[in-house]
Amino acid sequence: MPSDTNSSSSSLSSDSEFHSQNSNQDLNPNLNPDSIDLSLDAIENQLVSISMSSHPETAPFDLEEDQSEPTEQLTTMIAQMNGEIGEEVVVDEIEEEEEDKSTMKAETSRLFKESSSEVWRNNSEEEEAMSPSSSGYAGERGSSGDAATVGNEIDDDDDDDAEDEIDEAWNYGVSESQEQWAPQKRNLDEDDTSISWRKRKKHFFILSHSGKPIYSRYGDEHKLAGFSATLQAIISFVENGYIACSSSFVIISSFCFPIRLYICLLHCFLFRGDRVKLVRAGKHQVVFLVKGPIYLVCISCTEEPYESLRGQLELLYGQMILILTKSVNRCFEKDPKFDMTHLLGGTDVVFSSLIHSFSWNPSTFLHAYTCLPLAYATRQAAGLILQDTADSGVLFAILMCRHKVISLVSAQKASLHPDDVLLLSNFVMSSESFRTSESFSPICLPRYNPMAFLYAYVHYFNVDTYLLLLTTSSDAFFHLKDCRIRIESVLLKSNVLSEVQRSMVDGGMRVEDLSIEPASIMGTMSSHLGQAGPAADSPGRIREAFFGIGGPAGLWHFMYRSINLDQYVSSEFSSPINSLRQQKRLYRAYQKFFSSMHDKGNGPHKTQFRRDENYVLLCWVTEEFELYAAFDPLAEKALAIKTCNRVRQWVKAVENDIFLLGASPFSW
Amino acid sequence: MGCSSSVPDRNVGRIGGLNPENGGPNDAKNLRVKLVVLGSSGVGKSCIVLRFVRGQFDPTSKVTVGASFLSQTIALQDSTTVKFEIWDTAGQERYAALAPLYYRGAAVAIVVYDITNPESFAKAQYWIKELRKHGSPEIVMALVGNKADLHEKREVPVQDGIDCAEKNGMFFIETSAKTSDNINQLFEEIAKRLPRPDSS
Repeated sequence: MPSDTNSSSSSLSSDSEFHSQNSNQDLNPNLNPDSIDLSLDAIENQLVSISMSSHPETAPFDLEEDQSEPTEQLTTMIAQMNGEIGEEVVVDEIEEEEEDKSTMKAETSRLFKESSSEVWRNNSEEEEAMSPSSSGYAGERGSSGDAATVGNEIDDDDDDDAEDEIDEAWNYGVSESQEQWAPQKRNLDEDDTSISWRKRKKHFFILSHSGKPIYSRYGDEHKLAGFSATLQAIISFVENGYIACSSSFVIISSFCFPIRLYICLLHCFLFRGDRVKLVRAGKHQVVFLVKGPIYLVCISCTEEPYESLRGQLELLYGQMILILTKSVNRCFEKDPKFDMTHLLGGTDVVFSSLIHSFSWNPSTFLHAYTCLPLAYATRQAAGLILQDTADSGVLFAILMCRHKVISLVSAQKASLHPDDVLLLSNFVMSSESFRTSESFSPICLPRYNPMAFLYAYVHYFNVDTYLLLLTTSSDAFFHLKDCRIRIESVLLKSNVLSEVQRSMVDGGMRVEDLSIEPASIMGTMSSHLGQAGPAADSPGRIREAFFGIGGPAGLWHFMYRSINLDQYVSSEFSSPINSLRQQKRLYRAYQKFFSSMHDKGNGPHKTQFRRDENYVLLCWVTEEFELYAAFDPLAEKALAIKTCNRVRQWVKAVENDIFLLGASPFSW
Repeated sequence: MGCSSSVPDRNVGRIGGLNPENGGPNDAKNLRVKLVVLGSSGVGKSCIVLRFVRGQFDPTSKVTVGASFLSQTIALQDSTTVKFEIWDTAGQERYAALAPLYYRGAAVAIVVYDITNPESFAKAQYWIKELRKHGSPEIVMALVGNKADLHEKREVPVQDGIDCAEKNGMFFIETSAKTSDNINQLFEEIAKRLPRPDSS
């Protein structure tokens, strides 16, 4: 949905978007006073007085360019990523530089001493864990080939065991049972002494400022209390003035807890007040995000850029706010040692599903949503009936098919941020109970108003299609139920629901259907987004023997993000991006590319062309759109550029069917 | 919300809440009642409701979010019908402050505990107190010990349930949503105890 103008300018940099959001929390123009549930007035009045600015997230962050695979990239220069290659920091260097930080050294050595016994214990247990009978291993349920993972990183959902989920999510045409969708929390019997736990590729933790664990992606939070306390010690140490200017920083360490974290801590001293806040040692990164009394931590060796990981932590925090609102901070004012896990009871699956989407859903880094392709008239019909309900006191009415928007409307002056759409649909889809019967639940939209609950009426029309009606009134259930009955009858009468089913089967844009002849672009519109249209045999298609797969000129895949609409469209995966592993690799490549295009240090690029052994990646950014395209690694540059022009024309030609235009009366 | 135990019951005095708007006067033969199910998480509230409404039992537990709304009509022997409009609430702590929304104006409250879990029995007593304080005075209350099929793991004696129910003027029954034991009996018994409009 095209929202306010602010969001379009912020789209150039997801990071700055978050910053401005944080600093303007209380001045949020979207904060509609009517939307605040009266019931919570008392709390909110108190909360408003809590300054959210005490944690300066806005501190500038200079990330050195990460080029961890430096050699094979032939970076052709339209505009080049010219980051410096970071050197590995070795411990010797630390000791040298440490000399002029003697006061801190004392402090650190104290910390080292405190931790040394624990380190020793961990090491010895790690050795024990190598034996097959150890509990850390025996308990590793649900993942095959455990023995093979010794000495390697354990592939979490990023690769193996959840690939079926990725499959389903990307290729929605393939109908799979919904049960697969929501990943259950796994490996509850792991803790920080289990070798399997340590070898996970990507950890996420949420903890309180007093060190109480709130959420851990792997293992039982309660068993990780010691580890959590370690993280807390480090964060607060850093917060209490040692790195005064920043509450967020990056550490890359070898993931041998807790000793490496202390090394990281040393690094923090070294770079205290300095521009450099990126340290490398090994292939792990540790990213911290401090949100008032809540600390979020990601430890990852996936080589995702810092901005991406930070964005993921922001979303994780947003998901928590969606469930509890920011009023949860008040609990920590009353009792700093407050245990928040009870409040999040039963929501593990919501967080793990979100974390899973970090490795397949482009919305998580594009900050845009995607629509289910539908004929303009069909979407219009859906939009009209939703608009009716919005006029009757519903704040937001959203019709979705899995993670894709069919239509959404908002009441006057209200606008829905794409991140809220993402978090909301993740919450609904991962909470199985919504499928059982119509429900009414308090939820908070963090980008709309992080302080107040809205009330959501949720109803599934069928296994994939669901309606969300959001209101500020806790008493509105029966009104919303009536709205739903009316909406349902209109959707059935106007065949919207059957069109939705058909679109799921047909899929979206396919690179094979891209025509090179400008004239035939119009022709391709007649059938479903050009698929199986006359263009398939059009003479204009470039079908050289060499590019026997994918689309013309070796085009394999593309992603187009409309900046004004806050929406993106991506092509269906086709040969040779068939396997889930390849799809994820491409996803990560896009993610990295996106981050480099938005790198403030290098300034926003207009275009970028990159070639490595896997792809040619081409990105093109204008004020209107961002286009990311992946080609055969041997694709010709000139032809690739030409093809991108064609893609843009194609998207333009079918935009009525792939985007939701005029989502709200005030946005166009 | 969950942590905001101090949220004032802001709708006190406001009739309505989540009651059907067109509830209308119940005629003596066709009753329509609001029923709320309360209890701590994991005791089987949704399972009881789904067993009653759809005859289904799903052993994979699905945490209820907010509250689910279902309805079911039963016919009694005296040819009256009772339509239950059921609010199946979430047992999670964060939704506790929302409970008044659902039990306000309810004609029936079913408080559920798990016979294998003493903590859930303690929580049931909390809900009973809460209902006594804030529920409507004529509310019909039932205390239900669920998971009766797990009798070998029983930790709450039947007598404790009976005593507690008696003390609070409630109807007591042990059920198993899994085996369907006593589920229909529970709702039939509730229907019988409902005050009839003509008699009041």
